[in-house]
Amino acid sequence: MARGRLLTAGLAACALAAAGAVRAHHSGAMFDTQKLVTLTGTVRLFQWANPHCWIQLYAPALDGKMVEWSVEMGSTTELYRSGWRPHTLQAGQKISVVVHPARDGSPGAAFVSATGEDGAALGKVLKTVAQ
Amino acid sequence: MIRTLAVLLAAALVVSPAHGARNSQRRVQAFAKLPDWSGMWETASSKVITNPAGTGGPGFAKANQLWGNSNPPFKPELEAQYRAGVHDAAAAAAFANSFKGCGEGAVQLEKTFPFVMDSPMVFEVTVTPEQTLLTFDHGEIRYIYTDGRSHPQQDDLWPTPMGDSVGRWHGDTLVIDTIARTAGPFVLDSSIGLSEQAHFIERMRMIDHNTLEDQLTIEDPQRLATPWKLTFRFTRATDLDRMIPYDCEADRNPIVNGKMIIRPPEAPAQPAGAH
Repeated sequence: MARGRLLTAGLAACALAAAGAVRAHHSGAMFDTQKLVTLTGTVRLFQWANPHCWIQLYAPALDGKMVEWSVEMGSTTELYRSGWRPHTLQAGQKISVVVHPARDGSPGAAFVSATGEDGAALGKVLKTVAQ
Repeated sequence: MIRTLAVLLAAALVVSPAHGARNSQRRVQAFAKLPDWSGMWETASSKVITNPAGTGGPGFAKANQLWGNSNPPFKPELEAQYRAGVHDAAAAAAFANSFKGCGEGAVQLEKTFPFVMDSPMVFEVTVTPEQTLLTFDHGEIRYIYTDGRSHPQQDDLWPTPMGDSVGRWHGDTLVIDTIARTAGPFVLDSSIGLSEQAHFIERMRMIDHNTLEDQLTIEDPQRLATPWKLTFRFTRATDLDRMIPYDCEADRNPIVNGKMIIRPPEAPAQPAGAH
């Protein structure tokens, strides 16, 4: 572990809080959580994996040019708890995704929510485990 | 020859105490006396980030007591070093842009005790008469032996990230004693680490059907001026029916030049606009 990395973590909590979207795996500092952008496009790949699931989505960039977005989601456990499954998305599927865009302007983003072509929220209705 | 082998095999089956063994009445009775903590539990920070679909929100840092503004009662000679660190805003911002829990370049705090008790994870509790297991969804396991044993002798003991834990049941409260935790950082807002002499005492109990509480006291005469007392509360996760194996094999957030980036997926991309 880089000693300097932790040594410099002094105000990490403040920075983390300001970042807003913070994940189990890493901070959300690279994303602008003050911005919400809706991407409407076509799924190229739904990557069901850890530490994060990803949606690769063909959709217009903020300047209107068609690009491939990398939309970062939670871990498989986090998504499973939210009703997502490995086959929730298929290549070629048309969806709209609300995201926090990357601060550096690259076509990367943090997932917030998604809907299908019919406007219905993606993911199953959550079940409750009997206790 | 064959007859001899058959006789030997039959004899082995007859004398083998494990073959077909059932739990003794004594063990069954011991089980019956234990509280039922079975199920999935989540830390306070996990509860924040899991809504919705892993996207976090304000309040995450507040949910963690070991992440920021932790204010451990450091000895006076370490206090200034701690304060200097927490006031270095630029460094903190850089850290926030590079922190990750696993994968290349990751800070390994998430895999250490007591940080694991305050990380955004779900864990499963298994209580048996001999031990209590806390199995975390990122793969870490705490083994807490409750069969009356003491910690291993000095020659048989060496530091590990989770330390060595033994427990005693005091009614429905599990009192856990942990030693031999690898020296090193224990809070996210400082590099000042605990020593190998750190001693941890926990009192874990169920507050109600959906809440587990863990009162933790950290003693380290080499680093702390006084014992540090923390209380963690865990909520029953009712939307998870099993533990799902976790790995970091698809980590797409490498740290490049001190900054976290997004790496493209390994699958070859088609030209943009192909659909």
